[in-house]
Amino acid sequence: MIEFLASYEPGVVTWLMLPAVLFAIGIYGLLTRRNAVGILISAELAINSAAMNFVIFNRFITPAKVDGQVMSLFIIAAAAAEVVVGVAIFVMLFKHRRTMDVTRMDAMRR
Amino acid sequence: MSPGWMPCGDSGARPMQHILDYEFVLRNAWLIPALPLVSFAIVGLFIRPRSAKLSGFVATAAVFASAVLAWILAAGYFRSAEGGHAALVPWSMEWLRFQENLSASVGVLVDPISVLLMVVVTTVSFLVHLYSIGYMHGDNGFGRFFTFLNLFTFSMLGLVVAPNIVQMYVCWELVGVSSFLLIGFYYEKPSAVAACKKAFIVTRFADLGFMIGVLILGYYGYSFFTGAGSTAVGQPFDFAYLTSPAFLEKFSQVATGVPGLTLITVAMVLVYMGAAGKSAMFPLHIWLPDAMEGPTPVSALIHAATMVVAGVYLVARMFPVFAASEQALMVVAGVGAFTSLFAAVIGCTQDDIKRVLAFSTLSQLGYMMFALGVSTVHEAAGYTASMFHLFTHAFFKALLFLGAGAVIHAVHENDIWKMGGLARKMPVTHATFLIATLSIAGIYPFAGFFSKDEILAAALYGGHPIIFGTGLLVAGLTAFYMWRIYFITFWGKARCEKAGHAHEAPVVMLVPLVVLAALSVVSGFVPFAEYVYLGEKPPHEGINMGVAVPGTIAGVLGIAIAWFLYAGDAGRASALVARMGGSYRHIRNKFYFDEIYIFVTKRVVFAFVAAPIAWFDRHVVDGGVNLTAWCTRTSGAVLRYLQTGQVQTYGAWFVTGVLFVTLILWKMFM
Amino acid sequence: MLSAAVTTVLFFALLALAVAFAVATVLTRRIFRSAIYLMGTLATSAAFYVMLGAEFLAGVQILVYVGGIVVLIVFAVMLTSSGEMLEDHPSALRRFLGFVVAAGFCATTVFVCFLTEFKSVAADKAVHAGDAAAIGRKLLDRGAEGYVLPFEIISLLLLCVVIAAIVIARKTGAAAGSGAGAGEQG
Repeated sequence: MIEFLASYEPGVVTWLMLPAVLFAIGIYGLLTRRNAVGILISAELAINSAAMNFVIFNRFITPAKVDGQVMSLFIIAAAAAEVVVGVAIFVMLFKHRRTMDVTRMDAMRR
Repeated sequence: MSPGWMPCGDSGARPMQHILDYEFVLRNAWLIPALPLVSFAIVGLFIRPRSAKLSGFVATAAVFASAVLAWILAAGYFRSAEGGHAALVPWSMEWLRFQENLSASVGVLVDPISVLLMVVVTTVSFLVHLYSIGYMHGDNGFGRFFTFLNLFTFSMLGLVVAPNIVQMYVCWELVGVSSFLLIGFYYEKPSAVAACKKAFIVTRFADLGFMIGVLILGYYGYSFFTGAGSTAVGQPFDFAYLTSPAFLEKFSQVATGVPGLTLITVAMVLVYMGAAGKSAMFPLHIWLPDAMEGPTPVSALIHAATMVVAGVYLVARMFPVFAASEQALMVVAGVGAFTSLFAAVIGCTQDDIKRVLAFSTLSQLGYMMFALGVSTVHEAAGYTASMFHLFTHAFFKALLFLGAGAVIHAVHENDIWKMGGLARKMPVTHATFLIATLSIAGIYPFAGFFSKDEILAAALYGGHPIIFGTGLLVAGLTAFYMWRIYFITFWGKARCEKAGHAHEAPVVMLVPLVVLAALSVVSGFVPFAEYVYLGEKPPHEGINMGVAVPGTIAGVLGIAIAWFLYAGDAGRASALVARMGGSYRHIRNKFYFDEIYIFVTKRVVFAFVAAPIAWFDRHVVDGGVNLTAWCTRTSGAVLRYLQTGQVQTYGAWFVTGVLFVTLILWKMFM
Repeated sequence: MLSAAVTTVLFFALLALAVAFAVATVLTRRIFRSAIYLMGTLATSAAFYVMLGAEFLAGVQILVYVGGIVVLIVFAVMLTSSGEMLEDHPSALRRFLGFVVAAGFCATTVFVCFLTEFKSVAADKAVHAGDAAAIGRKLLDRGAEGYVLPFEIISLLLLCVVIAAIVIARKTGAAAGSGAGAGEQG
């Protein structure tokens, strides 16, 4: 049993499946959520999976270095920045339009 | 044009002398057509909306200046006899350059007939302008009227001075447009609108022939021109080249497929078609009587003295080319003679004073045309006679129209049967009208006598006895119908209330009448043959008694019959009408030509040509256009769904695109 | 051997958990719960980081993501009163479109991953490089392999964001004066 499990120890490809699936789920959320905050949350999912990719590559391709982890740090910082601006915009938007439904935000089309 | 009555003689004391001398005017001959053009633009754009009175004044002054220049030019030109009145081009400018050796220019051609026409057009135009100040007084379109008159004067002068056929064609169409505008001047009146449309369509239709003729001439002119090398004169479109023997010799050799018909005949008959349209020759005459819907001064200017002689002028201008084809000349002569008789017969039966004058114009134009048709390059007496008649006719016919205008102005009625007894109430109008009537009837010593005499002499000695006979008959008929309207209008008693209260026209209208009357008397004494001739200067012949006597007898006979029928008891005329019965009715209805045209256009052309074309246009052409529009609209409507304005839809497309790019890149680099 | 087996079990268990949280995040109609599920996903990710030997990063993930960003999002949910209402279902067309695109993305990525040869290095050779000291040195290294410039840029970015958030979210127009006045009094 243990041997069987050990033989399935995840390699780099298996590991990469994880962020791929998470990213896809994030995209689904980005494309389907109607609430703007929901879209922000989905974007966070996607960004997080991207950061995870760096860590995986760092661990399996260049285990002697920490460059991938540094990149992940930068990504987290950028994500934080994005969320701050996003939240500010949405709060403002809500004040003006009393709705967070993105399907009704098509002023550029009219 | 004899030195005695030149407006600017050679009294050296005048301070204007050195500015307005012949050399200066010749160098700046372009001013003559340019002044009315400038005035047209200024009056039309700036003065007309502000002051009607000022626009009338400025327009008249501009034409007056043109007239003065034209007289000075004529005086100087005809006196500088050495070199035999050469054709000069004092000013020209390249306008359209197609390629080497092929360009159209605008310029001023000074030769005997263009100088003659300049004098006639500017003089009559000035007098009509002056007259219109009185006649159109208080009319709503006063400023508009003068704007159009100026445009017309410019177009006509541009046509007259054209040194090449392109400029002539352009001005020819401009003349058509301005006559359209002026005939339809009272555009609230449906009949005026119909008349101006009729005039425009008929002359346009004729101009189609002219244009094809111009194209044929231009094509061969150019192909022979490039072959001619440096010996050729001017440019392929220039009259100087087109009428040169070198060109005509080659051009008359070009054959069409039909045996016995050379291309030059075809081309010149087509050109003549245009001329016939403008000069209202049969069967394109139908527009001219209706054109009397325009204001009377317009009738005087356009439909008597100037525009309608454009056709005659064109034939005269291209006379050597016409003369190169005997058949074309025969067409000119035949159509001219027939029209003159045909119109004279109809003229005897009309009741509208302006319509009688219109048919008289037709008849006189026919005279000028057949005078051209009977002459040849070597025996060019008819050419001179035609131009002479054009010259005299312009004055006395303008006088007749202006006199008729004065009468209409006084009576507010066109029907001669409602006038009568006006001789005492309008003495000046009566006197001048009488002079014009005597002149057109060909009574010595009035102008019409001399020119008519020369035309008849040209026909007789040119070997055309039938045309001579026709001319004689027409002379009698002319005298008859002119004196008919004279007796009915001015003699007897007033036949309606308005005629009883008629008053003499204002002075500003009388001045042109008097001037024109004076010109109608003296213009016959101009030694015309010394100024306008073709080839060698002909010997001066004086009055030919063999022609003058029968001509005068015909005129007097016509007057006598008119006097017998209309001067006293009107019953005689009605008895004659009753005797003539049906034929009178046919003539009175102008031989039903209008009805025939309506039938042909409505029933034949509309049903069998226009209707299928309209169907084709509506369904096939418009269908194609609509199909294109439909395709565009539909594809736009479909593509519109891509632009939802929804960020998420865009996002979906974005991710899809990224995926494709990824796959492509991966495929390329792996 | 045992550690490998444990890693396998742990990996797949956490994988299932992470995917479950992620799916719940995007599917739930209550936006507040969505934020909480996101927190779960992020926490699971931190666990993955630990498994990958990036303990410092796992700490940062918990601190910044779970502790900072998610809280910020929760604030946003509350400020926009999205928490009280159920979100409308997206239209069927949009759900279908989203699914196709997401599945396409997932398939493409997996496909590319399987067909790519990674020059994988045996894990035992790895130095235990996940410690904070190594990362800190790397961030502040001014040499060719250092990240001091991006680090500074990120710090600038964060400063800009803070200012931008204030500028965007503050009261605008006529209300701005009274808002400022109220701030002073507070």
